Amino acid sequence: MFRFDRRHFDNFDWVLLILLLSISVIALFNLYSASYPPKPWGTPPYLKQAYFFLIGAGAILFILSFDYQELHFWNYFIYVGVLILLIAILIIGKTAGGAQRWINLGFFNLQPSELAKLTLVITLASYYSRKEVTDGYTLKQLMIPIILTAIPFLLILLQPDLGTALMLVFIAVSMTVFVKLRFSVYLILGGFGIGAIIFAWEKLLKPYQKQRVQTFLNPEKDPMGHGYQIMQSKIAVGSGGRFGKGYLEGTQGHLHFLPERHTDFAFSVWCEEWGFFGGVAFMALYFVTLIYALYASTFARDRFGMLLSFGVVMLIFWQAIINVMMVLGFLPVVGIPLPLVSYGGSSLLTTLAGLGILLNVRMRRFQGGMGPDHRS
Amino acid sequence: MERPFFRFETEEIAERNEAAVRLLRRRTIFAILLVMFFLMVIISRLWFLQISSGQHYTVEAERQRVRIHTVPPPRGHILDRYGREIVTNRPSFNVVMIKEDSYDIGEVLKRLSLVLDEDIENLWARIRTAERSARHIPVRLKEDIDWETLAYLENHKYKFPGIRIEVLPVRTFHYGDLAANSIGYIGSINRKQLESDEEGIYEGGDLIGKRGIEKLREKDLRGEKGKRSTEVNARGFEQRELKQVDPLPGKDIRLTIDAELQSTAEQFMNIGEKAGAIVALEVNSGRVLAAASTPSIHLEDFIGGISQANWDALLNNPKHPLINKVVQASYPPGSTYKIVTALAGLAEGAVDENTVIYCPGYYYFGNRVYRCWKHSGHGPVDIRKAITESCDVYFYQVGQRVGVDKLAEYARKFGLGKRTGIELEFEKSGLIPTREWKKKNRNEVWQEGETLSIAIGQGFNLLTPLQVALMTAATANGGKIYKPSIIESVTTPDGVVTERFKPQLIGQLSKKEQSYLEIIKEGLFDVVHGKRGTARNVRIEGLTIAGKTGTAQVVRVAQYKGMKEQDIPYKYRDHAWFTCYAPADNPEIAVTVLVEHGLHGGSGAGPIARMILAKYFEQHLKDLRQASEGS
Repeated sequence: MFRFDRRHFDNFDWVLLILLLSISVIALFNLYSASYPPKPWGTPPYLKQAYFFLIGAGAILFILSFDYQELHFWNYFIYVGVLILLIAILIIGKTAGGAQRWINLGFFNLQPSELAKLTLVITLASYYSRKEVTDGYTLKQLMIPIILTAIPFLLILLQPDLGTALMLVFIAVSMTVFVKLRFSVYLILGGFGIGAIIFAWEKLLKPYQKQRVQTFLNPEKDPMGHGYQIMQSKIAVGSGGRFGKGYLEGTQGHLHFLPERHTDFAFSVWCEEWGFFGGVAFMALYFVTLIYALYASTFARDRFGMLLSFGVVMLIFWQAIINVMMVLGFLPVVGIPLPLVSYGGSSLLTTLAGLGILLNVRMRRFQGGMGPDHRS
Repeated sequence: MERPFFRFETEEIAERNEAAVRLLRRRTIFAILLVMFFLMVIISRLWFLQISSGQHYTVEAERQRVRIHTVPPPRGHILDRYGREIVTNRPSFNVVMIKEDSYDIGEVLKRLSLVLDEDIENLWARIRTAERSARHIPVRLKEDIDWETLAYLENHKYKFPGIRIEVLPVRTFHYGDLAANSIGYIGSINRKQLESDEEGIYEGGDLIGKRGIEKLREKDLRGEKGKRSTEVNARGFEQRELKQVDPLPGKDIRLTIDAELQSTAEQFMNIGEKAGAIVALEVNSGRVLAAASTPSIHLEDFIGGISQANWDALLNNPKHPLINKVVQASYPPGSTYKIVTALAGLAEGAVDENTVIYCPGYYYFGNRVYRCWKHSGHGPVDIRKAITESCDVYFYQVGQRVGVDKLAEYARKFGLGKRTGIELEFEKSGLIPTREWKKKNRNEVWQEGETLSIAIGQGFNLLTPLQVALMTAATANGGKIYKPSIIESVTTPDGVVTERFKPQLIGQLSKKEQSYLEIIKEGLFDVVHGKRGTARNVRIEGLTIAGKTGTAQVVRVAQYKGMKEQDIPYKYRDHAWFTCYAPADNPEIAVTVLVEHGLHGGSGAGPIARMILAKYFEQHLKDLRQASEGS
């Protein structure tokens, strides 16, 4: 199975790798400050995160070792495996008497819902590439992807983890819209979606989830509760000013005004310490990387490769957007991390695995003799 | 060519691939535009938060990060003219609780109530009043604990989690209640004072001068507050000190008062709990060497706020301890006023130094009899004898000849009938009646008989003890009216003198009037040293004293006539005046004593003045004694 010839090395996307490495180094650098001063016990988060980067690098190497086409086959097992983990978690959570989102693996807590995101990307890419339609999918053709999305969605919703569950919807919707639907299907699904939101608000959302949304819409009403977190994040970012307070000089984070400073609000710490120019520079680097990855995906040798790349980029993009919007006070507090930047093993490994797939597709873009820059 | 491990529908892929891939490639552009759009949204949001509102959020971040404590400045000291400390500061140790550091408030309070000997309910009440304040803000449980309790608490800290000792400066009084009514006291600033504080110097709970010098010289005494900024974390725990601006202590105020002399004055007034006032003036400058008002307030009662019971007691005390009788009370001057009448008579030519008037013990005027205090009469009286023996008949006639308005004119030349301008609050102007005054205020025509009463200081006229002292000093120094002052100097903590006493002449008698004064002074000398002087008991061996007694009638009630003086109810007894200066030939000090309801000037007030003079000339007299013993 392991075949690695010189062409792979030549075609490897060094630009993407360098962009990703830059982001990762900056992220670790920031994480050091976000968990500063270090606690006297345990491994500090930035170091743990560094270990995960190393594990993730190993995962990337492994993913690069086989042709991404084989994911068509392996994904059956991956998909079913993730579903089993999600069900297992519900059962453990029940017996443990409360919500649980992870499985303890000793050295870290595995969050199956994180794996589910990437699995969904592969699953949908696989389906849409095998079921090729150029004039828009019909509702009937969409039944299978809807069901494939709905099963993990519902399982995650039951945990309950609304943020991640909605993430699945974002991924599924962007990939589905990407492959083009019939015009009537847009209308039907759009109407259905709006109906689902109304239904969810009335019947499904737990009170604390509703409160988060309400707090976001009117933060002054609850300054010490959830509005407090948003307010503190805005103060952190805003007080950074033009040039920031300087590395390790952020007061909002170090004095604990900022909640979840090394996980969901890590970017807030960055903005406080590096100011507007630092914030813009990092966001530009981050989004340019995504744009580059999208652009590069158009050179993929087939539809599966393109869909995989697109899906992975969307997976990162939506999380990034939701996280940054939350940090900047545009969205309510939902537990969505900023990929590569927020501390968290499962999220990082999933992201790196996704990037591994992206690099794999890039590396094997000329196999099969297709693609725009096909060498004859 | 490498083949996938698992393949589906391979045949169709090749044909449809091209179109399907091209479709996705085209649509990728929209995805890129979407990403770019969001990047723009994020950048503009960052611009808004960090550039447009950066200032606002910076302030906000600082506000919640930095906690500013004000450090109260030590208040300036109040010293006597020789630099002896009268009022300074001492540390007060207060027990405070920081709720957030105390895991079991009930248990700690229980233990504390035993140590502090305080009802636990009182402690709980203090905690409850601070219920709404943040948990890191100290709640004061008890003020000013003693050394023993302090030592116990410090040594058993571990038993009292969350309990801290707060040190605040409070006033301490080295001479007890010395000059209490003039110095005054401080207290917590009230709402009205806070609202009128336009400079924003004060905040709730600050101490501010409420009465006396403490109030009038608040600006000098208060100093400048220090600031201590500390960094706090989200839970309110202090992390580190950011910066400290030390408080600037207030300026020291040196009074013109001689603490020893003042102390002597109060000591003798307090024998028999006399109500009254004593003023000692430096004759040639206007310095107030002593200004006593008895009974006085108790300064210690005002530390930490006076209790309602103590306040009520002050208000209801018939001897009015809240009033500074030196300037805030005016009395009929009695015979001390004869100095004014004598000057008016001589200067206006109504009498000269040789004019003799016969005193049969009474004087008919209109259809009334005006009695001399000596019912058997003084016989032939010239001006010196009239002063020495305080003959009323003589002065009735002088008054009648001069007229009330002329009398008032000379009174005003002595600075009477208006505020002296001394730095003490609520000074009364006294009252020097004229025809016009009566018309205006009572809408009545002046009765000539009233002039006679005025002439002996017994009518409408009212003087404060300070005014009588001012008149005496002016007589002593040959007609110069110095503005009385109680502030000797004001000094910054670095020793820079920002204000120094300078004698201020506010009036002066003419040359001719000055020459008449000499005649009067001869009479005053004999009051003490003459054979028939009314204050012979004031004599001190080795010192020449000139003075004048006065007895001010409080009421003219027939039923008390002929009664023994001691049987008259206290509040109807006459006020006793004695005013004097010494040495008679080269005066240094003028002393005025008023004893409310003290009966007779000579016996009621004279001895006290004598003790003050003895104290003032203590060294001089000792030297004299040694000299005579040596020879």
